[in-house]
Amino acid sequence: MIVVLSVLEFFFNPSSVAVVGATPKEGKVGRVILENFKNKFKGEIYPVNPHYQEILGLKAYASVQEIPGRVDLVVIATPARTVPGVLEDSGVKGVKGAIIISGGFRETGTQEGAMLEDEVKRIAAKHGIRVIGPNCIGVLDNWSGVDTFFLPEDKMRRPPRGYVSVISQSGAFASALLDWMAHHGYGLSKAISFGNKIDVDEVELLNYLAEDPTTNVIFLYLEGVREGRGRDFIDTARKVSRVKPVVVYKAGKTKRGGIAAASHTAALAGDYTLYITVFKQSRLLEAVSFDEIMDLVKVLSTQPLMKGRRVYIVTDAGGVGVMLTDAIELNGLEVPETPADLKERLRSVLPPHCIVENPIDLTGDTDDQRFITVLNELLPRNDVDAVVVVALPQIPGLRGELFEYLVKAKVYGKPLLVVLIGGELALKYKKFLEENGIPVFESPERLARALSALYTYSRIRMQGGVS
Amino acid sequence: MNAGSIVETALREGRSKLLEHEAMRLMELYGIKVADYGFAESGREAREVADKIGYPVVVKVVSPDISHKTDVGGVVLGLKSGEEVERACEAITKNVRERQPGARLTGFLVQKMMPPGVEVIIGATRDQVFGPVIMFGLGGIFVEVLKDVTFRVAPVSYQDAIEMLGEIKASRILEGYRSQPPVDKEAIAGMIVSLSKLMEDNPYIISVDLNPVIAYSRGAVVVDARVIVSRASVVNR
Repeated sequence: MIVVLSVLEFFFNPSSVAVVGATPKEGKVGRVILENFKNKFKGEIYPVNPHYQEILGLKAYASVQEIPGRVDLVVIATPARTVPGVLEDSGVKGVKGAIIISGGFRETGTQEGAMLEDEVKRIAAKHGIRVIGPNCIGVLDNWSGVDTFFLPEDKMRRPPRGYVSVISQSGAFASALLDWMAHHGYGLSKAISFGNKIDVDEVELLNYLAEDPTTNVIFLYLEGVREGRGRDFIDTARKVSRVKPVVVYKAGKTKRGGIAAASHTAALAGDYTLYITVFKQSRLLEAVSFDEIMDLVKVLSTQPLMKGRRVYIVTDAGGVGVMLTDAIELNGLEVPETPADLKERLRSVLPPHCIVENPIDLTGDTDDQRFITVLNELLPRNDVDAVVVVALPQIPGLRGELFEYLVKAKVYGKPLLVVLIGGELALKYKKFLEENGIPVFESPERLARALSALYTYSRIRMQGGVS
Repeated sequence: MNAGSIVETALREGRSKLLEHEAMRLMELYGIKVADYGFAESGREAREVADKIGYPVVVKVVSPDISHKTDVGGVVLGLKSGEEVERACEAITKNVRERQPGARLTGFLVQKMMPPGVEVIIGATRDQVFGPVIMFGLGGIFVEVLKDVTFRVAPVSYQDAIEMLGEIKASRILEGYRSQPPVDKEAIAGMIVSLSKLMEDNPYIISVDLNPVIAYSRGAVVVDARVIVSRASVVNR
């Protein structure tokens, strides 16, 4: 159990923040960050720049030490060579955390950069300042308004408030993902990108997010764990996975060249092979493609746990029902035969040309009510673990009541997913359903893969492990 | 000699590979069953060792400079008498002189020739990030061609080890294939756990290949062990 209340709180909920390198100049990083805070953050904001008395209507200070009140967090966006001085200044002031946006450190591959980074580490350690970065885009907290992402809102839209948090080694990928989430209306709680990670890393952030009440699902974009940090990573990930699902995407899957293969075993234990092992041992849910990242996240963040592997399909299109059956079975779940008593029940309420065998085919002349009647039979049953509705909206009888019913059917506490294939109308219904917490897919295969991840996670939660 | 001093000796002598009999002794120290063996410096000594072990035996070259013994004609199988053993030692000496002229000849490993069974590979490597990692697979083409192996980051529990046996694609072979009886899974799992322990205890060991381990319906025996050591790689825990 995690007992310590996280020490990283001041990165996400500071009562005051200093933006060092703040500037009124359009198009500058220091301006975007200050604007972000000014627009959304409720605490005290102190721009720091010796060349200005005032920036964007806020009183500016020549240094962090000159700020009259307490400063919890500094955001540093000044050239690399000035960062040690700023950090020293912040240390004297008693600042708890620093997000160092500036680049020009070890990532440059130069000796000067490496020395500057070591200097920053030393000063931070001396004053007990926790550091995110350097060379990063930092933190975006949709609930507190902390936003050091220096990409202006007109270039990178911020997702709506939500319960998914993102940890990303890559700032560029995080920005692109968030923009994409915003476009699709997927909610975000927090996003953190830590660049050179001289201090705070994925292990600590996983721990923090496990305790965060506004995070239900964590997505981790990982390039590599630091040397010697592997065991901590596994232990922490295992612990966090018992509380909330963690979806991981591993970048850099091709074999590492650096380590000489001293033996058979070493040659076979390629980098990615090892990470697959680690993810399994850590109970992390691996997304193997970009598409899968959001597929898994949207199902895991909206659906209740799945108690068993029995999936029922209700469709208005026989072909898609069969595609879905194949995809679900290939992913290790089951599309069982309809039990005799249910068959009988369905026959009594459905027209004779409907197929009561799972996948239950209501055929192209169905209307909303026929779907609702069948779902009312299925959803309360103990031998039904999840239901997928294939509602191709082109048929004349579907007018929209089904979709409203599905939103209400969440009360049954069972995973409920929808396949919609089509054009404008399908997209309209998809938007409505997803806004109401019902995941919609076009591809049966992608739905099946995401549903199987939900089942895997459900087993982790219910059995305390995957067997 | 304890495990630490076996490794220390090799490092002090500037060797990155344990000699055959050192590797065997190391496994024994961790309760990993190996084929009965003895070390001999000459053909005559090899014959005495073989007499004690009982025939048939195998003779393998022991040299700090040779990493693939069969490639240099350094292994002779199925020896049924003392004479054959002495002749094998002569042949090995000649082969090695011809094919790897500079190689030092420390002596010979004489081993009990094990009857056929299911060949498996159990291995370990030390990763810079995750520390010791244990591997299991079936031997021969399963590992060489199909790469049908599975891994765990140490420490590996007995339960983990049993799971590993079920994870490889060809795991059915362990269950008894055609008329073969099932292999002793407990024995293999026990070796995996012991190897995990060995790797955790000895930070200078960077990799181990137990290849092959021959598994029977009762018990499993290591026939060849390759252990690589290095001072450079003291990674985490």
